Amino acid sequence: MKSFAGLAGILVLAIVLSPTASDGSRIFLQLGNLTDVLRQISVIGIIALAMTFVILTAGIDLSVGSTLALSTTVVAMVLTHDFAGMGYSLHIFVAMLAALAASTAVGALNGAVIALLDIQPFVVTLASMIGIRGLAKWLSGNANIDIGFGQDVAAAFAAVFRQKSVVIGSYLALAVVFWILLGRTVFGRQVRAIGDNEKAGRYTGLPIRSLKVWVYSLCGLLPGFAGILYAAENHQGNPNAGVAYELDAIAAVVIGGTRLAGGKGSIAGTIIGTLTIGVLTNMLRLNNVDSNVEMMIKAVIIVLAVAVQRQRGVE
Amino acid sequence: MPDLLHVENVSKHYGGVAALKSASFSLWTGEVHALMGENGAGKSTLAKIIAGSVKADSGAIQVDGRAVAITSPLDAQRSGTGMIYQELDLFPHLTVGENIVVGNLQYRERNFVRFGEIDAFCRPFLDQVGLHRSARTIAAELSIGQMQLLAIARALSMNARILLMDEPTSSLFDDSAERLFGLIADLKQHGVSVVYVSHKMSEIFRISDRITVMRDGETIGTRKTSETNADEIIRMMVGRELKAGGRKDRKRSSEVLLSVTGLKTSKLKNVSFDLHRGEVLGIAGLVGSGRSELGAALFGVDQRESGIISLRGNPVAPHSPRHAIRLGIGLVPEDRKLQGLMMQMSVLENSTLGVLGRLQSFGFLRSSREAAEAQPLFRELALKYSSEDACVSSLSGGNQQKVLLAKCLMASPEVLFLDDPTRGIDVGAKEDIYLIIDKLASAGKGVIFVSSELPELLRCCDRILVMREGSAAAIFDGANATQEQIMASAAIGEGASG
Repeated sequence: MKSFAGLAGILVLAIVLSPTASDGSRIFLQLGNLTDVLRQISVIGIIALAMTFVILTAGIDLSVGSTLALSTTVVAMVLTHDFAGMGYSLHIFVAMLAALAASTAVGALNGAVIALLDIQPFVVTLASMIGIRGLAKWLSGNANIDIGFGQDVAAAFAAVFRQKSVVIGSYLALAVVFWILLGRTVFGRQVRAIGDNEKAGRYTGLPIRSLKVWVYSLCGLLPGFAGILYAAENHQGNPNAGVAYELDAIAAVVIGGTRLAGGKGSIAGTIIGTLTIGVLTNMLRLNNVDSNVEMMIKAVIIVLAVAVQRQRGVE
Repeated sequence: MPDLLHVENVSKHYGGVAALKSASFSLWTGEVHALMGENGAGKSTLAKIIAGSVKADSGAIQVDGRAVAITSPLDAQRSGTGMIYQELDLFPHLTVGENIVVGNLQYRERNFVRFGEIDAFCRPFLDQVGLHRSARTIAAELSIGQMQLLAIARALSMNARILLMDEPTSSLFDDSAERLFGLIADLKQHGVSVVYVSHKMSEIFRISDRITVMRDGETIGTRKTSETNADEIIRMMVGRELKAGGRKDRKRSSEVLLSVTGLKTSKLKNVSFDLHRGEVLGIAGLVGSGRSELGAALFGVDQRESGIISLRGNPVAPHSPRHAIRLGIGLVPEDRKLQGLMMQMSVLENSTLGVLGRLQSFGFLRSSREAAEAQPLFRELALKYSSEDACVSSLSGGNQQKVLLAKCLMASPEVLFLDDPTRGIDVGAKEDIYLIIDKLASAGKGVIFVSSELPELLRCCDRILVMREGSAAAIFDGANATQEQIMASAAIGEGASG
């Protein structure tokens, strides 16, 4: 695993540069900090899982950030709506289902337009990035929908879904599911195949259109789920959430060694890419590096990570 | 007199694999020097090193007795070397003229494109190669044969004294090949030396002065063409005796498997024929005559405008490859890299891609079943592979073709359309493909075999259908037809039909 070396390097750096606590231990290695890293990467990590599939088909999805915002908005709207007599569990279930349905519909629409009208994914998802952001703002009246800390259903929802164990657990579970989906199923094999050579895929009789609709639907579903976690974590539905998340997710996928031209890549790589960014961010923050400088350093790391992989790939 | 080009102990490794172990040969001024060898022997790698598109690991190259360091195509151009690649390296969306002048040291480029100047610069070279198209034509509009002429014109315009041609006739039909041979003879007269990479014994003996044979990345030896014969060259190429099989007559059934009547698409005018069970039907025709387009129509790639396609007496209307496969039609496409294989996937993954439906349970792949179904087929096709998980791009052309054939056969089609399956593959693999075609016919399949090489059609086919300008021009009996008859029918429409 080529991208693994990059992660190992960043890890060593993070440990060496870590400030020490009063008892002399390194703060980076404290359990609380390590789980913080995992929690922080989960939202982008979940989106990056689905993005891996999209990029494997030689596509791209720029609309995931807007889809996440739509999801936070829908889940908060439904949670704060008063359904007389509805139990908490059912209410939370309905809210989540509505958010997932809305975001999956966005993905399916992206996929359908890309597959049926044969328009470049970049263009289609750029359009829905704009349009879905508008939809989320329109639905919420351009305001955040607050989820309180009281005793109501919304607060109960947030209390469950902002727990570290729930957030990290969902990421890990989804990572395993997507790892199996890509590596062990007919669907995963066919996804890689059409990204490798779509024309040959057509001559092989693969259902290219429906595969694309499925892939983009997944790339609506997972940002939708990430949006639910986001809403719980931040105690609000936020139509302005998730700006530029698509770029973070794409960065994680690319650092993980997936080819932007399609056909080659892995979920394991994407997880490593996500971890690399997460550890890097944590390292810089522990050392109180200015957040603007942090972005500049990240930019360099992204290019370096891919350059190192390329070097080895060429050999 | 020093050699014009002298290559000494050149080697090239990719990863741990030696593409070229040690190659040495010399080229005299004004000669046509053939480089022969099976696929994977290192001919193309050697040619690409001389042309500067691949960098050698070690070895020396001299031009005119002086050592030259060729590390880029520009270096090669300066030393007077031009290469005509098998996959023609043109810019499809630029014009003919722009293709010629881009990166051309003989043409002084300016900040703005001046089409008038380009026209004037290109015309003599286009005339010399016999490409009668305007220099302002978009390259993508040319036929493959014309694109090749363009590539040659470009090399000539760069003042090339050494012309490397990699399998130049692999995509040409005999008449374009004739023109090419005439052109080569003409170039020779003008002092241009040609390194001619090919598998085709007949052309080599016709046009070359000397032959260098390569095997397993090494140059085995050089012979004067006039002092050797095909048997010796084949022995040197394969390192063993290879018996060229003769024509074998089959009993074909009277049952009509596939019947096509008045088929018309946007690219076909009028095609009618019957294919019997157990028959090999050859398709001959010039490039652009509608050979591949017939496959596209039968396979549901091109939509049918009128006409009837019947399978076992039932009219069918294949509207997509997926549908055609379900009807029992298989197609091995002409361009295995573009239309056939997933070049980043493994041998096994490629071969089973079309039939994953039966190799799964609940959507999960059953890898043991996958291997169990593929392996017998690989053995039957005499596929040579290091591991079934090896990337298909690591295989030689002939073996890639077999993987493609395996993918098609996995779906057990009754009718097979093989579009130029022996294009650019080595002699040994060709023999294997002929054997497979024969086996398929004996097993009661109907095989349609498209080829640009008439001898192989005459050897393998029960009947040969000649295509001309989108229509079926004539049908010949494979046992009695001659190359001359078929050529005449394909080119000008003379010759008996029936």
